[in-house]
Amino acid sequence: MATHALTPAVTAGYRGGLYEWLTTTDHKRIGILYVINSFAFFFIAGLMALAVRAELAQPGLQLLTDEHLYNQLFTMHATLMIFLFIIPMLAGLGNFAVPLQIGAPDMAFPRINALSFWMLPLAGVLLLAGFVTGGAAAAGWTSYPPLTEDRPLASTGSGQDLWIVGVVLIGTSSILGAINFLVTIFKMRAPGMTLFRMPIMVWTMLVTSVLVMLATPVITSALIMLFIDRNLGGNFFDPATGGNAVLYQNVFWFYSHPAVYVMVLPAMGIISEVLPVFSRKPLFGYKAFVFATAGIGALGFSVWAHHMFTTGAVFLPFFALITFMISVPTGVKMFNWVATLWGGQLTFSTPLIFAIGFLTMFLIGGINGAFSAAVPVDFALHDTYWVVAHLHYVLFGGSVFGVFAGVYYWFPKMTGRLLDEGLGKIHFVLMFVGFNLTFFPMHMLGLAGMPRRIADYASSAGWNDWNLAATIGGFMIGASFVPFLWNVFVSLRNGKVAGDDPWEGNTLEWATSSPPPPYNFDHLPEIRSERPVFDLRHGREAGGSH
Amino acid sequence: MTADSHALATVEHSPVAGLAHDQRGGISNPVLGMLLFITSEVMFFAGLFAAYFNARASNAPWPPTEFEHTLEPIGLILVATIILVSSSFTCQWAVNAIKRNDRKMFIRNISVTLVLGVVFLLLQGYDYTVLYGEGLTMTAGPFGTTYFTLTGFHGAHVFGGVIMLAVVVYRGMAGQFSDRHHDLVEAVSLYWHFVDVVWIVLYSVLYWL
Amino acid sequence: MHPIAHPRNALIIGVTFIVVSILYAVLAEPLGYHVELAGATMLFALGIAMGLMAYILIAGSPRE
Repeated sequence: MATHALTPAVTAGYRGGLYEWLTTTDHKRIGILYVINSFAFFFIAGLMALAVRAELAQPGLQLLTDEHLYNQLFTMHATLMIFLFIIPMLAGLGNFAVPLQIGAPDMAFPRINALSFWMLPLAGVLLLAGFVTGGAAAAGWTSYPPLTEDRPLASTGSGQDLWIVGVVLIGTSSILGAINFLVTIFKMRAPGMTLFRMPIMVWTMLVTSVLVMLATPVITSALIMLFIDRNLGGNFFDPATGGNAVLYQNVFWFYSHPAVYVMVLPAMGIISEVLPVFSRKPLFGYKAFVFATAGIGALGFSVWAHHMFTTGAVFLPFFALITFMISVPTGVKMFNWVATLWGGQLTFSTPLIFAIGFLTMFLIGGINGAFSAAVPVDFALHDTYWVVAHLHYVLFGGSVFGVFAGVYYWFPKMTGRLLDEGLGKIHFVLMFVGFNLTFFPMHMLGLAGMPRRIADYASSAGWNDWNLAATIGGFMIGASFVPFLWNVFVSLRNGKVAGDDPWEGNTLEWATSSPPPPYNFDHLPEIRSERPVFDLRHGREAGGSH
Repeated sequence: MTADSHALATVEHSPVAGLAHDQRGGISNPVLGMLLFITSEVMFFAGLFAAYFNARASNAPWPPTEFEHTLEPIGLILVATIILVSSSFTCQWAVNAIKRNDRKMFIRNISVTLVLGVVFLLLQGYDYTVLYGEGLTMTAGPFGTTYFTLTGFHGAHVFGGVIMLAVVVYRGMAGQFSDRHHDLVEAVSLYWHFVDVVWIVLYSVLYWL
Repeated sequence: MHPIAHPRNALIIGVTFIVVSILYAVLAEPLGYHVELAGATMLFALGIAMGLMAYILIAGSPRE
């Protein structure tokens, strides 16, 4: 448990009751609120997934005999996971970490930071309200017209409209947050922290914020046009009156493709923090990481129509070529992460184990994605379970494992207590095995032709066994949260005191108390490289190559 | 200060020199935040324009025959355009005035800007009623839908700008701005110029192209 | 600051997207596909927004 002379004199702590938490503008508390809110929606959306899996375990409609309810469940599962779990969870971890890692006292706009957060539970309530007002949105999270413009089919109540308003609200929250991050990162770095001495986590939050800021307004425009078509007699997307349904898909995916990088880049940032600390080696190829991250962000804006190859209205070679190109910077990152571990003195603490889980699972997701980039392959596999396998390998195998690496890594800094290692490892094993049992069979199901978004399938199709396996895996994932929640509950009360720097970290957040005081730092070490706390610990004066 | 600082040029000679700077030499946070917000708004209008060009390419003739002469560039809408463009000038004069601590001219010019903005909105509203009378409504095929969505959201942005200008006028009259503290004035003026540029693009594309 | 960090160079990213949007619009038909103006518009606007953003962030940063 390392402490050094920089421990601030003021004892830090989250004193103050509910009122303090409701009115806080402190980025650390707001970050924690984001994490808690995101986990709450993770569990709700997870339960929806379990309902879907329970229905699909065997052929025949057993539980969800109302197929319309089934449609609502898979629609809301994806919507909540994307907009109220992954994106805000990573924004929240970034909110906690970024000002600390750049040596700043808070974000640039603390009150807007609070506003960004509180828009989220409100939006969540709006989205879920559909269930009690006659039916939640039920046309898939992608909400394509003409289905979403055909009111009796799409949703018997105002669920689709509530969905539109909820998502637009979340988008606004994201955009404000992105602007906050960019101004913070560019204007509030501590002296000596040049752009190329920032932690990779900060770089990934920077690029993510650029993507959010420039792409999210486009989905806002798509959803507003959908709302106008639905409620004001508009003619954007209805072919019968001169509109174009594929237009919606183009505008929608112009945002939603960069959105997947929003969902994964900060997780990659977390991995880039965890691997060097637990291998006791610097990150291999820092500059390559920076350029690869920027490259992924830039290329990610030019591939949207690979989600629409089968519409017949897409410039196929353009999108296929650029989609293949994204595997280059991604591959560079994979090699550099492995190179960081290679020859390192590894400490297999829970954060590292989840990081290794990320590396292996995201690799699989990247490979099956590369297959999908090939147009003829996609023509066969579009809208089958192959795609469901791909998206879950990158978003769960990648982002969720990355999130947990970050949670186990930063929990001591946030709370001053260590999480139990034993429970952490049980959590990992259950989640890793359960995850693969759920989603690996979906590759086979997709190749065997099982379509997405169906409540039932014929017993003679040959899909029974893999579906049953996937359902068992799903419940195993659910079970894995028991040791995690128990761990959090017990550690908050009785966990080992963490001290400033339990992991012997490299970056500035470990140069202050756990949790930090409201103003973050009493003193900052001299910043001469991307590992200022490492340098301080080893008594380095002039830094290395920077 | 390294020898490479020539790469950034001195603050006085760069195009962002006119904007408020803070002690460490960067643009002030609220102004930077507003500029970034403006880039996000560019992308919002990009989505709407994307729909417009797609609709236009898929529907011939454009304009449809029944609306061939409905959107005349020379008329009330040109008056509204001149008013909005003028308001950008008065807005910039207001910013220049507060930069040299001339509070009187600042208040005068920013109030004129506010009034011109309101007049633009009223003219647009009146123009909408004229168009409705000629049968051009939100439901009149993609032509009507795209027209009212684009101009409507532009109008909403003007309305937001009018609210911000009103706040600036109020705070200005309370003496809260000076040559050293006027971040909000600059931020609002940048937004107002943006709204003007969007209108010029809209007017050119919807009425002239 | 490194010479490449001159604000004018930040515009390169904006120009890149504008070039991509032009290629997207111009190459589609010769290769047998229809020209999607929605996509071209969004890419073009992205070039403008990106260039503006990159310029502002670099030019507006404090000197180190």
